[in-house]
Amino acid sequence: MLGWLALLLAFGAGFATTGWVMTLDRQVRARFEGVQFRVPSRVFSAPAILYPGLDHEAFGLRETLDRLGYRAARSAEELPPGQFFWKGSRVRLHLRAFPHPTRPEPARQVELRLAGRVIKDILERPSGRRAGAVLIEPEALGAYYGPLREQRELVGLQDLPPHLIDAVLAVEDQRFHTHPGIDLRRIVGAMLANLRAGRVEQGGSTLTQQLVKNFFLTPERTLRRKLREAVMALLVEARYEKTRILEAYLNEIYLGQRGSTAVHGVGEAARLYFGKSASRLSVAESGLLAAIIQSPNGISPYRDAERAVARRNLVLELMLEQGRLEPEDFEKARLEPLRLASVTPDPGDARYFLDLLHRQLTETYPADQLTEAGLRIYSTLDARLQRIAARALREGLEAIEKRRPEAVDEDPKRRLQGCLVAVRPQTGELLALVGGRDYRVSQFDRCSQARRQTGSVFKPIVYLAALEPVRGDPTITLASRLVDEPLEIDTPDGPWRPKNFDGEFHGEVNVREAIERSLNVATVNLALEVGVPRVVAMARRLGIRSRLPAVPSLALGTAELAPLELARAYATLASGGVRPDVQTVEDVVDSTGAVLERRELGFERVLDAGTAYLATSLLEGVAERGTAAGVRAGKLRGPVAAKTGTTDDERDLWFVGFTPELVAVVWVGYDEPRSVGVASSVGALPIWRRFAEEATGGRVRGAFPRPPNLERADIDPQSGALALRGCPERRTEYFLPGTLPTTVCPDGTGPGGGFDRVHRRFLRWLRENL
Amino acid sequence: MAARKSLSFGLALLCSACAVAIGPPPPRASQLAGTGDPRFRASQDLVLEGLEADGRGQTERARSRFERALQVDSSNPWAYLALARHHLDAGRAGRARQHAERAAVLFESLDPPTPGALVHCDGLRGAALALEGRDAEARPLLDAAARSAPAIWGDAHLSPDELR
Repeated sequence: MLGWLALLLAFGAGFATTGWVMTLDRQVRARFEGVQFRVPSRVFSAPAILYPGLDHEAFGLRETLDRLGYRAARSAEELPPGQFFWKGSRVRLHLRAFPHPTRPEPARQVELRLAGRVIKDILERPSGRRAGAVLIEPEALGAYYGPLREQRELVGLQDLPPHLIDAVLAVEDQRFHTHPGIDLRRIVGAMLANLRAGRVEQGGSTLTQQLVKNFFLTPERTLRRKLREAVMALLVEARYEKTRILEAYLNEIYLGQRGSTAVHGVGEAARLYFGKSASRLSVAESGLLAAIIQSPNGISPYRDAERAVARRNLVLELMLEQGRLEPEDFEKARLEPLRLASVTPDPGDARYFLDLLHRQLTETYPADQLTEAGLRIYSTLDARLQRIAARALREGLEAIEKRRPEAVDEDPKRRLQGCLVAVRPQTGELLALVGGRDYRVSQFDRCSQARRQTGSVFKPIVYLAALEPVRGDPTITLASRLVDEPLEIDTPDGPWRPKNFDGEFHGEVNVREAIERSLNVATVNLALEVGVPRVVAMARRLGIRSRLPAVPSLALGTAELAPLELARAYATLASGGVRPDVQTVEDVVDSTGAVLERRELGFERVLDAGTAYLATSLLEGVAERGTAAGVRAGKLRGPVAAKTGTTDDERDLWFVGFTPELVAVVWVGYDEPRSVGVASSVGALPIWRRFAEEATGGRVRGAFPRPPNLERADIDPQSGALALRGCPERRTEYFLPGTLPTTVCPDGTGPGGGFDRVHRRFLRWLRENL
Repeated sequence: MAARKSLSFGLALLCSACAVAIGPPPPRASQLAGTGDPRFRASQDLVLEGLEADGRGQTERARSRFERALQVDSSNPWAYLALARHHLDAGRAGRARQHAERAAVLFESLDPPTPGALVHCDGLRGAALALEGRDAEARPLLDAAARSAPAIWGDAHLSPDELR
């Protein structure tokens, strides 16, 4: 009876064990045969371009190379990709290959010849042929992580140098190729060593066990967990080839931190520590990676270089002992100094851009594809301009707080905020976007998500509507006079009496004066003359999508818009009436190298080039003599057009400025609107100026496109008449064909002015001679 | 009335054709290499690299080079012209027309001007319109381009080498 019971129990236990093992086996197969790794998608900047004539100091060549992980070599001989040798006025640079499926760039060696701050020549090596322009690979801006925030670059065993594999096996599992998943000799050895030490000093886990632990189990140290680990290791070994297990291990192993993200796998670790692909690791570098597996943070070479090198040398000794390294290679590797890549900077303020891009991409791709599928997203962001923008905004906000201590709020969430967005007007490429003061405190992007009253930066849209001829003549030309006198408009909320910033009325003023002084009443009068619906229609054509109440106060910027919308609207002016589609992505490539998406530069002519030029000319005047004249307070020279905007009680400070090649919008204010206490020209303008000066090096090139059919004439700014000889004041203006003034100065009256002139001369002659 | 309209239209066509025909021959992109400021020079070099790639059938590389040319100098009309030609070859008529029009505006506002460059803009616009089936609008532009540069536009097509 007892025997039967024992047999039954044994049978039951065997049945339960078999079931348990089968469950574990299912888990193993599910992991190995499903998606093994979740690889976050990475976002890259646009590539930087070097060319003769470039100011390499303003460009920040050295810093760019550092950020990209290029290392300074000790000599120009045998310069491998990813290194440079800079001596005096010569820079020998071995650019890395850029592996893109459709537009790859080969690794190439060039010599930059410098003359002061400028690159004088770029010569191909070794041919000595002159190169016109050279592309540097894009900078990594960040990645879209899942909840685990793991970063890895998948590698295949065939891509890895044998010495890296040898180094890992030497220190982590020297009998990997012979044991069945668990190594009894190692377990016994570790137990004896731990008993002797009186504490846990050595682990007995094979590489397979480590992989199993990372894939399936928690780090708890219980017998039950160890048993599961051992059984699963045996199952993995029974089912899969050693090479597959090793490859999985090398991609899974945790190897350190980059900020808040965990670096997994030798591919990513090679980038983190040495700024290069794992395929190009030297013996010593491989030794270091193998050395830090035991305790990536404790042995981090960034934290304790001496300890890291000592441990590396221990790995090299093990390799020598196990016959994995020749003595001469060992000596060479042991003496190799530790040369680490600069720590890849945190994406910092580019995170607002990454979030904007994420919102756009999730319209096309499922969110988990972005966090797990290892896409490579090449963006339009200019890494250099992004840094300049972030600095300009930060320093500008600090300057306001220094000037006005009462603007300071100790609560980080209630601090003065701002944003800056820059676009290339001709192509619509988004070049820089800083959506707030500190991403860690607030992730709300004030450039693309906030809608705020725009104040006077809306006014140019009114002038555009008035300058555009619709069924005949335009409402105004650059010679027109506007009325700036008390005005009362009935509204459902009672009478509205617009006032000027200075509280005065200026009577009749010319168009330039009205916009250069940002006169409210003259602008409202003009909007009424043009018709508010036409102003709304013009805003829509310029790409503004936010709600636009069709009321007269719209002319003064009561509509709430996003800075990015304004950037697009002004880009249309800068590019001569052609509205660009705002571009954030160049292309998206999946993990197999297939291009999923390719940008199309798109634009549409929404304004006659002449009208766009006239409005731009008005805004050039604002930057020369008007409320935005402060843009010239520094070193900025060349064509600039701009407009300030300050809303009631100085709650929102705006500044929009553009050159033929760059549009930038700055907004400053509090998230919960309250007075900043300064006007736009004091708060927002200096931020734009800092940005533009550094971005352009102070010299704006090019010219706003002026169509050849515009007519040019001198006018009398006081009357708007054509200025003839004898007219006391004159100013040159451009006019759309057929819109020249019909009166003349002095005292001319219309097309008969020529006759009047003769008549006046005759009368003067009579007075003087009779 | 209709006869008068036709006559005016015919005269206008003739005049525009004459105006083009008596103009200088269209320049090639390589003629501008090494001229202008550093950014234009670098941009033009990238345009030339792109045209060379286009000629070899490396269309993606070519397009990327033209876009990089705009990254360096977004006002370079040659980059838009090369992109227009590229899009036309790829059958993207709308994009080709947009880029050719863009190039025309930039060429017109150049100081000093690039004589003859507008022939390519007109030719490409014409070819794009023809691809869209808008033959009536395409024909005058293509005819004018062919009269002005028969060796290039005689076949109503612009190859990368002809532009380079």
